Amino acid sequence: MTAHLELSDVSASFNGFKAVNGLSLKVEKGELRCLIGPNGAGKTTALDLICGKTVPSGGSIRFKGIELGRHDDYQIARSGVGRKFQVPSVFRQLTVRENLEVAYCKRNGVLANLLRWAHSADSDGLDKLAEFVGLSDQLNVPAAHLSHGQTQWLEIALLLAQDAELILLDEPTAGMTVQETQKTADICNRLKGKHTIIVVEHDMGFVKAIGDIISVMHQGKLLAEGPVAEIENNPKVKQVYLGSVGISGA
Amino acid sequence: MMSKRTMRQVFVYGAVCLAILLLPMLINDDFLLNRFARYLVLAMVSMALALSWGYAGILNLGQAMSFGLGSYCMAMALKLRTIPVHTGSEGLPDFMVWNNVEALPWFWKPFYSMPFAIAAGIIGPMIVSAILAWFMFRGRVTGVYVAIITLATLVVVNLVIIDQQWATGGFNGITDLAQLELFGITFDAYSATTYYLIAICLTVCLFLALAVTKSKAGLILQAIRDQEDRVRFFGYDVALFKTMVFCVSAGIAGLAGMLYTIVMEFASPTFLGVQLSLSIVIWCAVGGRQSLVGALLGAILVAGMQGALSESEVFLDTWTLVMGALFVLVVLFLPNGIASLGEKLAEKFGSRRRAAAEPAKRGNAISRSTKLAEGK
Amino acid sequence: MEFLFEQFITGLSIGSILLIVALGLSIIYGSMGVINMAHGEFIMLGAYGAWALKAYAGISLFPSLIIIFIATALLGALIERGVIRYLYRRPIDTILATWGIGVMLQQLVRLTAGGELRYVEMPPSLAATVDIFGVDVSAYRVFIIIAGAALFAATWMLVNKTTIGMQLRAVVQDRSIATAFGINASTIYTGTFAYGAGLAGLAGALVAPLKSVSPEMGTGYVVDAFFVVVLGGVQSLFGTVASSVLLGQLSGVLAYWQNDTVAKALVLVGIVILIRFRPQGLFVTRVRT
Repeated sequence: MTAHLELSDVSASFNGFKAVNGLSLKVEKGELRCLIGPNGAGKTTALDLICGKTVPSGGSIRFKGIELGRHDDYQIARSGVGRKFQVPSVFRQLTVRENLEVAYCKRNGVLANLLRWAHSADSDGLDKLAEFVGLSDQLNVPAAHLSHGQTQWLEIALLLAQDAELILLDEPTAGMTVQETQKTADICNRLKGKHTIIVVEHDMGFVKAIGDIISVMHQGKLLAEGPVAEIENNPKVKQVYLGSVGISGA
Repeated sequence: MMSKRTMRQVFVYGAVCLAILLLPMLINDDFLLNRFARYLVLAMVSMALALSWGYAGILNLGQAMSFGLGSYCMAMALKLRTIPVHTGSEGLPDFMVWNNVEALPWFWKPFYSMPFAIAAGIIGPMIVSAILAWFMFRGRVTGVYVAIITLATLVVVNLVIIDQQWATGGFNGITDLAQLELFGITFDAYSATTYYLIAICLTVCLFLALAVTKSKAGLILQAIRDQEDRVRFFGYDVALFKTMVFCVSAGIAGLAGMLYTIVMEFASPTFLGVQLSLSIVIWCAVGGRQSLVGALLGAILVAGMQGALSESEVFLDTWTLVMGALFVLVVLFLPNGIASLGEKLAEKFGSRRRAAAEPAKRGNAISRSTKLAEGK
Repeated sequence: MEFLFEQFITGLSIGSILLIVALGLSIIYGSMGVINMAHGEFIMLGAYGAWALKAYAGISLFPSLIIIFIATALLGALIERGVIRYLYRRPIDTILATWGIGVMLQQLVRLTAGGELRYVEMPPSLAATVDIFGVDVSAYRVFIIIAGAALFAATWMLVNKTTIGMQLRAVVQDRSIATAFGINASTIYTGTFAYGAGLAGLAGALVAPLKSVSPEMGTGYVVDAFFVVVLGGVQSLFGTVASSVLLGQLSGVLAYWQNDTVAKALVLVGIVILIRFRPQGLFVTRVRT
């Protein structure tokens, strides 16, 4: 049985600098995997490689058994990969509702979309999504007026509207208050099992609240992998988080 | 289901078109009608630019290319229909005779057919634009660079047309044209008939463009304008969407170009000049790049003012100065043009009516969302 | 051999004019991200300055260079304070606004100085020709080549060796962080724009004796200058030099065996293809984002 997502020996280089260097990773269907590591470990680049933002310079990335490396980013997205960016990225001039409608894409063609009214999408479903992330009351508010936390949640809702099988979350709690982080953890936990999720995070409290298995990256490679408790006591992991008291203090 | 905003838009757009269509009832002067018809044509190009610039964020500084190509298509067809053309053997256009051309070039021949010419005037610019758009957007050229590439392309096409005098008439363009005849109707440039033709084309194009913006594709285009990458990662082929709107805009501009030849009675390289192309951007910006009807009225307003003042040399000189200043001021203080003033007014009226019911609801919403945020 | 050398000198001469003209645009675009469409009008103002100072005050070219630099720099500072600074978050709108400013400047000059062509005399000391390896070269052209090199060196020193230059580079990297470290970003930007405008004015005065002076003369220059910058790569002063020399040689060759229109069109097509495939310019490498 092949894994839902499988990276083997993947590399990415920028002018000779190897941001990701021989990374191998397996994620099973419905799993929530946390990806951690010190700054510059190549976590974000790893997500970029999976979703096609960066083209790998070597190795293979297989999603549902299909090789992704040769495809354009939008084709990868069509195959069921959704990505949340580190800097929240939503359509600021559009309302929350319109944002969701753009993300809701059963058909991607130009003609199909020209012949359809903008407001004909499955509105009940989209309303439920907005409710799921707590934005029911902001449906007709331009996304530019949302708070930082709400923008992050909106972007997660967009991935759900897109109905992505594999969701890549890049630092979903960055800049959030404790309460907001808690709510984001709730959202992640409720998605567990229905979607395959990879979360890149620094906040260990958050990782503990959602994660089962953690993968630690260091210098573009996988350093360690295992349950939270095991990783916390791993001497190699402690070593790379030099100067700190291990990842829990990071 | 139509949203309130859409209904308001349809109402405003309809009212503007109705006013345009009814104008000849008030004006009996054919010269004045010709002038207004000219403004309407310019309004059409300006509106076409708003479609690609305002809704998809593609600043096309070469909008005049499609306009000019359309106008040349019509001019070629009308040139071949003139009687005095028979100055050389086999009815060669006069300027070709002067350039010692012996036979009609092959690409002129299909223009004996008016249906072909009309199709070419719309589809030709669309094809050229499609190639250019594909070239740019596949390579993910964005923002400022799109502006530069489109401008450079415009200059290249302009240079070629001026350079190939034997086939295009060079600097002089194509002059001394016949009048267009369609379905037994003659379209004299100085007549209400031609005015109606242009007004109807404008109305049709305006509502066509409105339909594009109201479709799901229109929404996706606006999303592309905001965050291109984000749209791509939802699985849309962004380049294809941009190419589509670029081509629709080019088609409308091509049609406008054809109408311009009819109303001006000649075609000239200035129709695809940098000056005109940048003027289109001004009209669009002053009227409101994110409003089709705004861009349309912007063109009528600015071009109309220029036309009214152009009688006197002194006024025309200061006019350029005023226009430069006006443009800077609009960019600074009204980035969405005069139309945004209208929108704001409409919203104010709308919200005042709802104001009584609103506060209670809004307070409720806030308390609920804070509760959610606290995770309770 | 002699022919080749002559061709090379012609190319170098065109290239040095391009460099002088492009330097101001390069520094403004490279550090502020503003495409200054009024750049050509600053050049035109510089040329008119040289003409007017000679015609009305009898000041010859060399001393008037200083006055022109200061005057156009002040005008640049004024424009930055009045318009440009409100548009840093809207880069496309800076094209539109500076274009509007350009239209106004052009019209103002047309209204005050008239639309007819003006001519600026060469300084008598440089009117002769000099013999370089058996080729007769106008002394003024040699002077232009030297002036181009000197202006580049001065600009390079300013950006890379002075405190102000360091502050500028910091602001370019990250404006908010630079501000947090006590750098007055808005003054730096005003200064940069003023310096770029001053360079443009200087360029206008320097090329004036070689060309006729008219209100429309700037339009061609801004296009050339922009292409030099795009070709060389934004934020790379050395790229600007390399591309000026390259473009200078290229247009020297093209002008030799093609007619002017075709040469122009070919250069434009080349630029379009370049932007499409290497938007970062020929002499800059990609970095991790």
